Amino acid sequence: MKKALITGITGQDGSYLAELLLSKGYEVHGLIRRASTFNTSRIDHIYRDPHNGEQVKLYLHYGDMANTGHLVDLIYSLQPDEVYHLAAQSHVRVSFDMPEYTGDITGLGTLRLLEAIRKSGVKARFYQASSSEMFGSAPAPQNETTPFMPQSPYAAAKLFAYWITRNYRQGYGIFACNGILFNHESPRRGETFVTRKITRALASILAGKQNKLYLGNLEAKRDWGYAPDYVAAMWKMLQYDRPDDFVIGTGEAHSVREFLDEAFGYVGLDWHDYVEIDPRYFRPTEVDFLLADATKASRELDWQPRVYFKDLVRVMVDADMERMGLVPPGEGRRILEKHHGNWHRWEDQAVSMER
Amino acid sequence: MPTALILGIDGQDGSYLAEWLLGKGYRVVGWTPQNIAVSLSNVAQILEHLTLTSGDLRDFDGLRECLARYQPDEIYHLASPSSPYKSWQATVEVGDIAGLGTARLLEAVRRETPNARFYQASSSELFGDPSEVPQNENTPFRPRNPYGISKLYAHWMTVRYRQHYGLFAVSGILYNHESPRRGMDFVTRKITHTAAQIKLGMAQELRLGNLDARRDWGYAGDYIVAMWQMLQQPEAEDFVIGTGVTHSVRQFCELAFSALGLDYRDFVVQDEQFFRKEDTAQLVADARKAREKLGWRPKVGFESLVHMMVMHDLRILTSPETR
Repeated sequence: MKKALITGITGQDGSYLAELLLSKGYEVHGLIRRASTFNTSRIDHIYRDPHNGEQVKLYLHYGDMANTGHLVDLIYSLQPDEVYHLAAQSHVRVSFDMPEYTGDITGLGTLRLLEAIRKSGVKARFYQASSSEMFGSAPAPQNETTPFMPQSPYAAAKLFAYWITRNYRQGYGIFACNGILFNHESPRRGETFVTRKITRALASILAGKQNKLYLGNLEAKRDWGYAPDYVAAMWKMLQYDRPDDFVIGTGEAHSVREFLDEAFGYVGLDWHDYVEIDPRYFRPTEVDFLLADATKASRELDWQPRVYFKDLVRVMVDADMERMGLVPPGEGRRILEKHHGNWHRWEDQAVSMER
Repeated sequence: MPTALILGIDGQDGSYLAEWLLGKGYRVVGWTPQNIAVSLSNVAQILEHLTLTSGDLRDFDGLRECLARYQPDEIYHLASPSSPYKSWQATVEVGDIAGLGTARLLEAVRRETPNARFYQASSSELFGDPSEVPQNENTPFRPRNPYGISKLYAHWMTVRYRQHYGLFAVSGILYNHESPRRGMDFVTRKITHTAAQIKLGMAQELRLGNLDARRDWGYAGDYIVAMWQMLQQPEAEDFVIGTGVTHSVRQFCELAFSALGLDYRDFVVQDEQFFRKEDTAQLVADARKAREKLGWRPKVGFESLVHMMVMHDLRILTSPETR
């Protein structure tokens, strides 16, 4: 039985990855921060899921990305086969208010973890959650050879982590991979991210609890995929015959405006009646156009997204409506049953959303 | 009288820059890292003209206090662990000091002295294993050791603080620059110092790594002028600084030994243990932008540089005070 350690297990990606690995028979260990408030709502349902059998092989450990010694002990005692490093201060705009904290957790944290793996002598494979934000203002489409032009403290910290991961691979022979993931969303996306902010507000509007939605730049274009598809790519990278870096995305870019069109149109509303532009939400340095060229992942990992933009929006709107106690149009459930349905099921959506 | 704060005053560049700025009428505040044994021998001659302070790049509040106290007009951030090769031995520390330390300093500048002009000492190690030769300000970065990666993070944070927070912050991407004040663990100084020792009968041989490794070597005294010039520009911009010419370690040895009337082939031993995986053959500066916008050109050529370093080492080895 394989053993995996996931940092950031309470986040969107960590929770889906835990579900995927458990379905593959892994013993899954998650690292969580010791804090006065922490939110395990995205993984609580895993313990109750009958598909996981009597004994759920999911274990949580308190950990601190700011302490190398602690990480060495943990890795040495767990002896994981695979380490997925997803923990980060992951919000781009927040990184402008907290540049040093972002650098410490997102950048240096990765180095501490790699150093812990090296020092422990454990032959674990390592996945680093790199981000399309590292490309910044580089011309689209972006692939593995596109030079990086980070536009935020978050992107600079992620770029530090990216190079350190390559360095530990080349210098120390660690099986360390960078997954350069473009935006990936889901019902479990944090509510401060624009996609979730929209679908959540839409459900509130439908429930009669809200009538305005304030947004920033509607023209920024992103390559938006579906998070469960992306965690499958993470796993594939660590099963590959050699460590490498891969761009993961859908190859389609859509603007925030298009997201609004799709989401509100799906339930028969016109977003112009509800959306107001608030310049406070404009990002200080806006990254305009991110579009993945994931040819390499398709060719070498045989990875393709299953859920594209329109379906993604429907899944998210349905889930937020269900969470709000409304009856959704229901296309979201049909989409998941068609494309997933094995380890990833509709029943786990609304119950696992951030509250 | 403008005030300049130099972080890393004890180093080669810090000491030359301090002399230059004193000559321009600046009040110079020199910062050295706490908790590390620091030699002030490079600034011994100007010590009485300096204000000295110390701190820790891991201590954000301490950095703020330092800026609040001295209110510098110009800040030269030269403090950093300087050896790319040693950075493998203390990766987290290098990342914390050379990388995150710069982010802390920039944030401290933004809070305390947002009108101060900020110079970040970047390095050709940003290019690492470069995608094109020679390299200019638009060449993609490909760092290949923890030092280069930390410096790259510091570079991008400098650019962010300029473009987003509006600081006058520049990154000078400097290629190798040497001088009689270069640390003994750098190959150039190791050659000139050992050659002088051999001349004086104090050593028998010189063990080196790959003699055919090539570097773009300039004179540190020229490079610190470029730092100052960058902060006098109307607009904050980044510049590549280097000679655009490479020489081999072998050529360096040849010149160094012949300056002492010796043949390097009689003394230099190539030793595999000093070979480095990282070949820097491709690091060559294209400093056209600095030439055009700053009017900067290196004044001291390669031969003069080697000669200057050898003669200095010969002098200190024979001087009664330093023996």
